[in-house]
Amino acid sequence: MAIVLVPAPYRGPTRGLDRIESTGATIGACFDEIEVRNPGLRDLVVDARSGGVHRFVKLVLNGKLLGRDAAVLATPVVASDEIEVLAAIGGG
Amino acid sequence: MPGFDDDRLLYVDMTNQTTRFAAFPEKWKLLGGRGLSAKILTAECDPTCDPLGPKNVLVMAPGVMSGTTAPTSGRISIGAKSPLTNGIKEANAGGNPGQDLMKLGIRAVIVKGQPADSNRRYGLRVDESGAKVVPADDYKGLMNYASCDKLLANEPKTASAITIGPAGEQRLKGASVGCTDSDRERRPARHAARGGLGAVMGSKGLKWVLVDPAKARTRQPIGGKSFNALTKRYTQAYLAGPQIFKHGTSTVVPVANMLNTFVYKNRTEGQSPDVQTLDGARIVENFPTRGGGMHNCMTGCIVKCSNIVHDKDGNYRTSALEFETITLLGANCAIKTVDEVAILDRLCDELGLDTIETGAALGVLMDSGGMEWGDSAAAARVLEEIARGGETGCMIGNGVVETGRLRKHKRVPHARGQAIPAWDPRPLKATGVTYAAGPMGGDHTAGLIINPGMPQDQFARASQEAQLVNMVCDSSGFCQFLQPSLDDIREYYGLLYGIEISREQIADQGWEGLADEWAFNKKAGWKDEDNGVSECLVEEGIGPNHSMKFDVPLEIINQSKVRFPVREELFKMKASG
Repeated sequence: MAIVLVPAPYRGPTRGLDRIESTGATIGACFDEIEVRNPGLRDLVVDARSGGVHRFVKLVLNGKLLGRDAAVLATPVVASDEIEVLAAIGGG
Repeated sequence: MPGFDDDRLLYVDMTNQTTRFAAFPEKWKLLGGRGLSAKILTAECDPTCDPLGPKNVLVMAPGVMSGTTAPTSGRISIGAKSPLTNGIKEANAGGNPGQDLMKLGIRAVIVKGQPADSNRRYGLRVDESGAKVVPADDYKGLMNYASCDKLLANEPKTASAITIGPAGEQRLKGASVGCTDSDRERRPARHAARGGLGAVMGSKGLKWVLVDPAKARTRQPIGGKSFNALTKRYTQAYLAGPQIFKHGTSTVVPVANMLNTFVYKNRTEGQSPDVQTLDGARIVENFPTRGGGMHNCMTGCIVKCSNIVHDKDGNYRTSALEFETITLLGANCAIKTVDEVAILDRLCDELGLDTIETGAALGVLMDSGGMEWGDSAAAARVLEEIARGGETGCMIGNGVVETGRLRKHKRVPHARGQAIPAWDPRPLKATGVTYAAGPMGGDHTAGLIINPGMPQDQFARASQEAQLVNMVCDSSGFCQFLQPSLDDIREYYGLLYGIEISREQIADQGWEGLADEWAFNKKAGWKDEDNGVSECLVEEGIGPNHSMKFDVPLEIINQSKVRFPVREELFKMKASG
């Protein structure tokens, strides 16, 4: 199963968990599948307007930075893959 | 020749309008920005003084790395005793004045005294030939943009400026100190905003500082090629990374809303129904049709988090429109769109006002029935009054506590007299510890911890470590949004000076800076038995069922002021604000 690494600010929907396993076959499917158990996490990552990833979020697959267009969510994943969610958090 | 033996301090006496240089103490060579300001104020400012009187001392101190070729390293700290917190205060800004002062070897400008005639205005010109105070009565009452246009019109392109607007001249406690950015237009769009330091500058009759390094070179590191190699490596790694601030801080709005810290209607709710129209993504979406875009606010910045916002007709409106401003001037006042907030932001930059303090004060005015919620036009009219000395405008300009006092309103969200930033201490309790225990009062840049699930027993250490890392960062000149770690900073310092700097040294430097500031505040009258956070944040909840309150025991708050053993993780933590 792929593992999604959740940053601290996003752990409300995961009830504090920093790692969530998923059986999804793509990145998008992973977030869809997690959404059933942990509602709210997908909306923080996936921009419903564009179908891609939010501007303030980056996804990193096994250490490689991904883009933010909708096609990224179709990226296949296999067991032991790590999908890390990075979030821009700052004031100004 | 590399080396910094000629570094100096510039003293400015505003009572007699004279200047003098002094050698920069060798023992302070690894201090700049906030840490240096704290040392100078500890040594030269009476903590019991009237913040707007002649005994207060205004410090303008670039960071250690300012003026070098290190990326995103040119920030300048403004420091003094704050008229809002009555404690020591530091606020820092981007733009180019910090780098320009350092190219001239000036580690700090220290402004003392006060002119006998408070109606007089002065400017300070600093260049390769020296420094002098000059009459500037013809700048009296000018807005910041007009002031900089006039000041820089006949100056070389190498010059930059530090200015105050009418709010500072009127000594309003929410006044900011503006710095010109690195764009061709040299706009006064970068502000050391918190703590009312613009009022301190105004109290000294100082309207502007003009800095022209002319052909002075960037500071030459003793580490030479190794320093340059580090810069190349660091920059490449950053640019190959996620660049999470690429679209500016304003796009964090949806996350803040989710965390119940996109505060609404004077912080009575943690979420705004207008989250979509206030999301900074709307700004980014408009770039292709309206113009504007992302840019670097200072020379050599690789983060480029600053936006330039145009109006619907394609004309420049403001820069930069940040998350904090959108929250306080927008959601907190039930104002619905980024376009409306942009107008208010520009007004604040023109007047020289902190957008956080101003938005919080407007929220109290609306909450107390003095203005309709969401009426951005009325808010703009009140701000415009400030330039003419209007009563309501000046009340707002004096900040949230003064507005609450005059409106006889109980719900006044502040910590130590300074408005709470967007990041709310109720869902983010460890950040609340920073507001309550930290020497900066309600200021997220002093130590922001965004971890809503953190157990209570970790608050004190998390706050202390964030404060320590941010203290070192704000002394270095690096921008918090570059997110340097202590290891990054000590490696840079080592190559700048050609010396080995241990982890112990850099951690001790951060702690010593905090200790200096706490000691100043204690002498100024701050008490440990008072957490400094206003009652409304303790008694009134936000979030689901209004259940989130700032309920951290005083014992835990005060633990953050007792040094924890240094641990490995501290050196990899990234600055954040």
